[in-house]
Amino acid sequence: MTEVAFAVRNLSKTFAPRGEGGTPRTVIDGLNLTIRKQEFICILGPSGCGKSSFLNILSGLDPDYDGELEVNGNKIQHGRLPLQIGYLFQEPRLLPWLTAEANVDFVLMASAKPQERWAELKDKYFALAGLEGFRNHYPHQMSGGMCQRLALVRALCVEPEILLMDEPFSGLDELTGRRMRMDLVDIWRKTGKTIIFVTHNSYEATFLADRILVMSKGQVQKEIVIDVPRPRDYDHPSMFEANRDVLRSFLKIAEDAAAF
Amino acid sequence: MLTRWYSVGLAIGLWWLISLLLPGNLFPNPWDTAVTLVDNIKDGAIWADLAITLVRVIGGLALGALIGMPVGVWMGLSRRVENWLDAWIMIGMSIPSLCYALVCFIVLGLNEFATIVAIGLTAAPSIAINLWEGVKNIDMRLVSMARVFDASSWQVMRRVIAPQVMPYVMASVRFGLGVVWKITVFIELIGRPNGVGFKLYYWYQLADMRQVLAWTVVFTIVMLGIELLIFKPVERRLFSWRPGVQL
Repeated sequence: MTEVAFAVRNLSKTFAPRGEGGTPRTVIDGLNLTIRKQEFICILGPSGCGKSSFLNILSGLDPDYDGELEVNGNKIQHGRLPLQIGYLFQEPRLLPWLTAEANVDFVLMASAKPQERWAELKDKYFALAGLEGFRNHYPHQMSGGMCQRLALVRALCVEPEILLMDEPFSGLDELTGRRMRMDLVDIWRKTGKTIIFVTHNSYEATFLADRILVMSKGQVQKEIVIDVPRPRDYDHPSMFEANRDVLRSFLKIAEDAAAF
Repeated sequence: MLTRWYSVGLAIGLWWLISLLLPGNLFPNPWDTAVTLVDNIKDGAIWADLAITLVRVIGGLALGALIGMPVGVWMGLSRRVENWLDAWIMIGMSIPSLCYALVCFIVLGLNEFATIVAIGLTAAPSIAINLWEGVKNIDMRLVSMARVFDASSWQVMRRVIAPQVMPYVMASVRFGLGVVWKITVFIELIGRPNGVGFKLYYWYQLADMRQVLAWTVVFTIVMLGIELLIFKPVERRLFSWRPGVQL
């Protein structure tokens, strides 16, 4: 079998009560999972199910959790995955005072990539995302979809061992989102990255994922393997069929969560 | 650009019109004023007064920034500090600059130090307000982006936070300068034996309105020069990335 990228053991996250008389809020409650290298994982869940908190822990934005992360037998109990991380946020989060290329330079510098490799990395990923012509554009001169593409270039240029994505296409119109999903799968197949993609859109998850983890109440409630062969056709009946099963489980789990 | 010259021309024209309606010794026309101004410059005495006023303006502005900027940043960072100092800022802004000047002259003596302290205290609150606003408006989502990509604290500070706060720093300095040069002239009038404010009052007492207007013009030109030759180019360089506002 393929190698393990990382594992999560008994992970919990509780927020301290807000103000006096508040109650502590547990958003992740004993989460266990194993991610394999080069796997495309989608975490599907209703809002408030703990999926964003999970990404915050993996990326190191939130070092305060219980349980452990494990990479190559190393156990980490506070802090982030000791892997190079690329992150795609819901919004592009570009620095508006820098050109497209300078935005990428910023993370190349931050992640301490040797400067003699910058040109090669940028050439490769700008081309892969179809943005060669826009290197000298400022973010405000580009459309929302192009900005998110640039954010993807930025995430890829640091040569991440793992790519975290937090509903990156939810802010785009349907047509642009669809193009981006197809392009993302292409790029993933060309680069072989491990991807953890958080979403609340079941069709998106079905189209993208090798494996969908349906999350609710801070735990993985169900694991669904999508065995539709790749390359997948966005509009093929097999996709609709697979999505129907995913959607059913998702709805049932969301209803159970709401009933609590 | 041409419109701007027309506009200046129109202002001078209006000045001329008004001067036609009033006796020449009460409100001299632009030409007489210009002649007086050129005489002053030939005479050379003008430079000493202009220089000492500029020193006070710059010293006062620097002191105002030295007090106002840290206070503003601190208020932007902490809710508690904000609640504490909010009222102080309001009070500080409301006190007339005359009161700062009088208290400083009484407590510190009629000297240069007291002058600069009075100017600095008047300017500090408005500088603090601008910085406070700027720090509150820092986009934390960009900061967390930088941290996810392993940016060091220094890189976050220099590359993500500083560019966001810079417009507010510029605004506070410009705004501060606008406040400061008006107070400086005023404080010179009440407690200094030199400077543009002193000269204005001196010629006013001698009822020489040509000199009063000549000094006003020379001072205005110097301040406009600072605005056009220093602030505008710096601003253009710093904010060239910004989209032009189109209505």
